[in-house]
Amino acid sequence: MLIKERLSNAGIHTVLIAYSLLALFPLALILINSFKSRKAIFREPMGLPIGDSFSGKGYASVLSNSDFPLYFSNSLTVTCVSLVLILLLGAMAAHALSEYRFPGDTFIGIYLVLGIMVPIRLGTVALLELIVNLGLANTLTALILVYTAQGLPIAIFIFTEFLRSVSREIKDSARIDGLSEYRIFFEVVIPLVRPVIATVAVFSMIPIWNDLWFPLILSPGEETRTVTLGVQQFIGQYTVNWGAVLASLSVAIVPVLVMYIIFSKQLIRGITAGAVKG
Amino acid sequence: MATLELKGVKKSFGAVNVIHDMTLEVRDGELIVFVGPSGCGKSTMLRMIAGLETLTQGQISIGGKRVDHLPPTDRGIAMVFQSYALYPHKDVRGNLGFALKHAGVDKKEIEERVNNASEILGLSDLMTRKPRELSGGQRQRVAIGRAIVREPDVFLFDEPLSNLDAALRVHMRVEILKLHQRLGNTMVYVTHDQVEAMTLADRIVVFKDGQVEQVGTPLELYRKPANKFVAGFIGSPAMNFVNANAVDSAVMVAGTKLCSSKSAAGEVTLGVRPEHLILTEDGPFSGVVSVFEHLGGEAFLHMTLPDGQLLVAKLDGENSFSTGQPCSLGIRPEHCHVFNKEGYRIAE
Amino acid sequence: MRTLAKSGTEQTHRTPVRWYILVFLAPATLIYTVFAIYPIIESLRLSLYQAGDGQGIFVGIANYAKLFGEPLWADQFWNAFKNNVLLFVMHMLIQNPIALALAALLSIPNLKGAAAYRTIFFLPTLLSVVVVGFIWQLILSPLWGISPAFMNWLGVGSFFKPWLGLESSALITITLISIWQYVGIPLMLFYAALLNVPEETIEAARIDGLNGWWIFWKVKLPLILPTLGLVGILTYIGNFTASFDLIYSIQGGLAGPDYSTDVMGTFLFRTFFGFQAQLGDVYMGATVASALFFIILVGVGLYLFGVQRRLQRYDS
Repeated sequence: MLIKERLSNAGIHTVLIAYSLLALFPLALILINSFKSRKAIFREPMGLPIGDSFSGKGYASVLSNSDFPLYFSNSLTVTCVSLVLILLLGAMAAHALSEYRFPGDTFIGIYLVLGIMVPIRLGTVALLELIVNLGLANTLTALILVYTAQGLPIAIFIFTEFLRSVSREIKDSARIDGLSEYRIFFEVVIPLVRPVIATVAVFSMIPIWNDLWFPLILSPGEETRTVTLGVQQFIGQYTVNWGAVLASLSVAIVPVLVMYIIFSKQLIRGITAGAVKG
Repeated sequence: MATLELKGVKKSFGAVNVIHDMTLEVRDGELIVFVGPSGCGKSTMLRMIAGLETLTQGQISIGGKRVDHLPPTDRGIAMVFQSYALYPHKDVRGNLGFALKHAGVDKKEIEERVNNASEILGLSDLMTRKPRELSGGQRQRVAIGRAIVREPDVFLFDEPLSNLDAALRVHMRVEILKLHQRLGNTMVYVTHDQVEAMTLADRIVVFKDGQVEQVGTPLELYRKPANKFVAGFIGSPAMNFVNANAVDSAVMVAGTKLCSSKSAAGEVTLGVRPEHLILTEDGPFSGVVSVFEHLGGEAFLHMTLPDGQLLVAKLDGENSFSTGQPCSLGIRPEHCHVFNKEGYRIAE
Repeated sequence: MRTLAKSGTEQTHRTPVRWYILVFLAPATLIYTVFAIYPIIESLRLSLYQAGDGQGIFVGIANYAKLFGEPLWADQFWNAFKNNVLLFVMHMLIQNPIALALAALLSIPNLKGAAAYRTIFFLPTLLSVVVVGFIWQLILSPLWGISPAFMNWLGVGSFFKPWLGLESSALITITLISIWQYVGIPLMLFYAALLNVPEETIEAARIDGLNGWWIFWKVKLPLILPTLGLVGILTYIGNFTASFDLIYSIQGGLAGPDYSTDVMGTFLFRTFFGFQAQLGDVYMGATVASALFFIILVGVGLYLFGVQRRLQRYDS
């Protein structure tokens, strides 16, 4: 019995480790080669960047000779501002939907989460026209507004589900303590939703940081290019400068990676806290 | 210190009437308990007193001052919730002092009142803990402390012990009673547990379907329940109800007169508390034992009458019966409760 | 919105208008309406117009007639639609079973290293498709990829083919890359659902004599059916819209070779912005987007009224 159990245990880990390698191998490939000289990349793509094959040139050329720092700050601005707006406005709307009863509440609740099922990309044609008419073409503001609109439905959905599961009594208690409805939101509800903020943040951030569609269409200009779009153009431009391409890819990976590692524990807790029940 | 007055209070959610028409005067310093099954409107009534629900009609006054148009915080009340409703991100001290801090009370005074409350409740060693680091009983103590700190005219308790385990519940019940004796405030206490109601209350209000069934002291309710609902709700195990006949003011079961009642006539229901049934040689209740539960000091005898009706008797633990054994029970006339067809008590 | 603010007086007596509800709801509703809902509705409207001087001219369903009637358009549309359907079917048959299997293994109680596995499996999902596209080109390219050398080293070099460049294998290769990247999402959803299966239910099954495999099959799987439905519809929506990114970054706007990886997203992009000789056409773009809208609507409708309802009934 014990032996059998051990065998099956080993089998499980073999499968999981095999898949882990499959998931990690391509990533490792990029990171390893980003530190190598062009020759070394082609001579020995699997070799580690040690000795004479090590080269920081790729990173140097990315960080100095290009607009990469600009792209990076564009992406960071767009992602962070959108994220704050999604979290704040999403939590506010979810609070209103879960806490108060008013005529049309069900309708507005459904309306606001429709966007989960109907991707905003389908409106691209009219959206571009709208953005141009508003004078927002080639601005980061355009991206921020669109990403906020895109991220709100899922954020509202997750927050509402979560807030409905939270006891009403704590808000009533705050009312008896004399807090206004606004202060109840900021001082009681915001601390309460903290466990799911990570979940919402990760789910909202990934598609924003990695998006290619809207930067390509709404703000392809040099000044407003995001990292993702920048890397995409970069690859086309410098197909010879491998070190630089690989380094730029690595740079593009890092922020999401950091964010994910910070939040990964809370992420699962948030998902299992009943936020995504299907 | 204050009286609490409810006058013609009504509440409806759309077409559904939750509170029909409630009028009640709570005396200064009285501990009044709202009791009833879930969904009976007792919590809604309490929330209206607190100002968390609006009234559809009627008036609420505290200390002679009308408060039903005031926000909760200006009514001079404090409330203790079933789920404790502590702020999870604040420690015990922060929770206790929060309302005062918000109201702009002087720092020294806050400290004084918080320390005083924590002493009363034995929380002094826990002041820097967060709610998640506390046990259920400790959390409930903090919740009560938070109410004390506000020095309210009226304390409101919404099923405060329901989330605690049985042993702790008994303990906290005594604590609340002591607290009431010590502070002497007017308190309104909502519970679905009739034992809590009986042990705590100066007076009990029994709710059912948004209506008040009876108001009275615990013993009044026990001795003279106004109707079958109150009779069945108060007391444990619940009162037995047996079909009976009234002829010439004599209440008869199976041809035997059990008690007399001048205004009773025709088909009536006889209510008999399990603890009032006594073992007899020959009836008037004769049947067979269906279950015999031994609890040590006492025992419950479940008996099936020939016509299929069930009767539970609470007997002394010395007795012993086996299933299927024939047995016979009786009752003293003064322990009989007689209800008419509509379920209302019939005067003797 | 006005009825919303007024409503407070109706329900309660003597209470002021509850403006705060409006304040909480308005910003999200406004941004969402202007930048998500309005453009979609406006696109639907534009699909009924054609270019004219200055303003568009209302042409009814002429654009749709063109899209489905003219071979030049219809061929492209049905080709992209077919590829999308294939993409969807392959994701359902490959990605979701893999995700379910991995989630089932991960949810084994007290599994050592579960957190590490979880983090690793989700990593590719975090990456930009641009990165993913490049990684796999680096691996698979016959000119500068590492696969030929690697496969030579393994002694199977003669089996190497430029998979991304062949019409016969490009779409399946793209699918596998997409699965490699996105398996993390269904995996997380399944994993969370499996963790939510009450321990008692599983213990009861164990006492009833079921072993690990049968517990998964007979107890856990039925309980997570709603999640299976959810993953299904998310896969459907994702395949019809998000698939653009990967294909555009690997194969470009022409979705080569010879449109063999063309999907609705790339087709819409080309129609809207034009490519090579063809000029971009806002109205035809809107028409393609609207067609896509209805395709998704059908899927979501089937899910909401068919799948989900039945699953929930089963669930309860």
